[in-house]
Amino acid sequence: MADRVRVEPYGDAAVLVTLGDTIDLDVNRRVHAIAQYLDAMDEGLKDFTWGSSVPAYASLLIPFDRWEVSAHEAAQYFQELIDELDIGREAEALSRTVEIAVRYGGEDGSDLLDVSERTGLTPSQVSEAHASVDYACFFLGFAPGFGYLGVLPAELELPRRGEPRTRVPAGSVAIAGRQTAVYPSATPGGWHLIGRTEAVLWDVQREPPALLAPGDRVRFVADRR
Amino acid sequence: MVLEVLEPGLLSTIQDGGRDAAHLGVPGGGMCDRTVREIVAWLLDTDDPVAVEMTLLGATFAVRESCVVGVVGADLGGEVVEEGRPVPPGTTALLHAGTTLRFGAARDGARAYVSLAGGIDVPEVLGSRSTCLAGGFGGFHGRPLRAGDILRPATAQRLDLAGRKWPGLASGGLPEPGVTPIRVALGPHVSDVGADALDGLLGTDWTVDPRSDRMGLRLDGPPMPGGARRELLSLPMVAGAVQLPPGGAPIVLLADHQTVGGYPVPLVVSSVDIPRLAQLRPGDRLRFDGVTIDEAFRLGMAELWASKDVEDLFERSLAKGTA
Repeated sequence: MADRVRVEPYGDAAVLVTLGDTIDLDVNRRVHAIAQYLDAMDEGLKDFTWGSSVPAYASLLIPFDRWEVSAHEAAQYFQELIDELDIGREAEALSRTVEIAVRYGGEDGSDLLDVSERTGLTPSQVSEAHASVDYACFFLGFAPGFGYLGVLPAELELPRRGEPRTRVPAGSVAIAGRQTAVYPSATPGGWHLIGRTEAVLWDVQREPPALLAPGDRVRFVADRR
Repeated sequence: MVLEVLEPGLLSTIQDGGRDAAHLGVPGGGMCDRTVREIVAWLLDTDDPVAVEMTLLGATFAVRESCVVGVVGADLGGEVVEEGRPVPPGTTALLHAGTTLRFGAARDGARAYVSLAGGIDVPEVLGSRSTCLAGGFGGFHGRPLRAGDILRPATAQRLDLAGRKWPGLASGGLPEPGVTPIRVALGPHVSDVGADALDGLLGTDWTVDPRSDRMGLRLDGPPMPGGARRELLSLPMVAGAVQLPPGGAPIVLLADHQTVGGYPVPLVVSSVDIPRLAQLRPGDRLRFDGVTIDEAFRLGMAELWASKDVEDLFERSLAKGTA
């Protein structure tokens, strides 16, 4: 048995379920398995009402009806429920592959030279390293359709920018820590921009609106047009 | 056409109860001051209230067809210009075609709401009519209202709803003069920020920064240690979470908060006080008063028993066989 799942109050209207503190695909698959179980649970079997869970890397949030139960009681209930769950410990095979074409550097990746300097790699080594591995989509968050992708090769690992940009262009491909992502729309952002894609990460008219889903395998391909 | 926007004010967006799509990265949204929902519902006789949320400086509308509006929340000095007739919060009013409904600067809270009898005709997107500013969808074409926009009721006009007056306060969130007390329980990262930071958070009168928005209230105060003592993995966020970024200036999350974040959350505001956060204006002051999670629960129950939802609670208990 790995570390016990920890369930604790997160304010008076939600609980936080924590499975670990690292970016780890096995842990993340268990997060999603718990989320799916709780989301699909029959209303008649529930002791009280709760809403859709919100998964992240190694934790998930469950909002509940604070007029039915206190956060301590809810935490105890979910603790027992989750402890009894038989969640597979191995990551399932990633479900499908999404390819994203990227123009690296230049105006499209205005931090590429900076990243190159700070990592000691040439700009083309940076883009090659970024496109050299398959990533997993761990979860969607931060902005509509924003997928947290990992794990970024260690030689590209950098802390976030000291000063976040007030506006990152839509389609920007960015890195931070051991993560990479595509900004679906123009938002503020603190990650390093190394390229840009034409892929539409979020379109509310599309079903589903998000291009990426947790469990997807994502591959970046250099677009040299 | 019924109401045409002549001037949009500072930030006017269409909001309802919000949406449940945080797992897609979509903020919950909805009316920042959720206490006004039941008032709009009662004033305009609807189960599914929707309204224009106006911020600090209200909008001006040309009345193109006679209609009934309901106004709630902060007092923005709403009036029918041509008639010199005030439309105070907590009331409905019949507006005559050819007149102008004008709101001005906020007199008490920060956010006021105006809606039409018959609702506001905008499509549901991902289960809600709320404007999602981060995603550019929902509400009125996914953006704040602009001059020239036209609002129509979703169903037939209900002119019989004119002249109603809500018996209580026009919002449960309006701040009192002085330093507004905000009750907080300990959050998941209380041991990661250190005792000095916690003392600073709880012992300071904080001032609301003008950069505050629907995502969160930014607070100004004396310099204090920020950030966490270990690297935190991004985790889900809740409305009311008090984030402590490395710079030491806290941010309290509101309705449009990002679904996940990486800053430590040492405190979480009790749900009953979140509407007060939504009604604080730049320059207003607040302090955090510590309560236990169980006290926060009891505050919620007290609020519930004081509200009209008591019958609903009773019915739910009956349905479960616990009453």
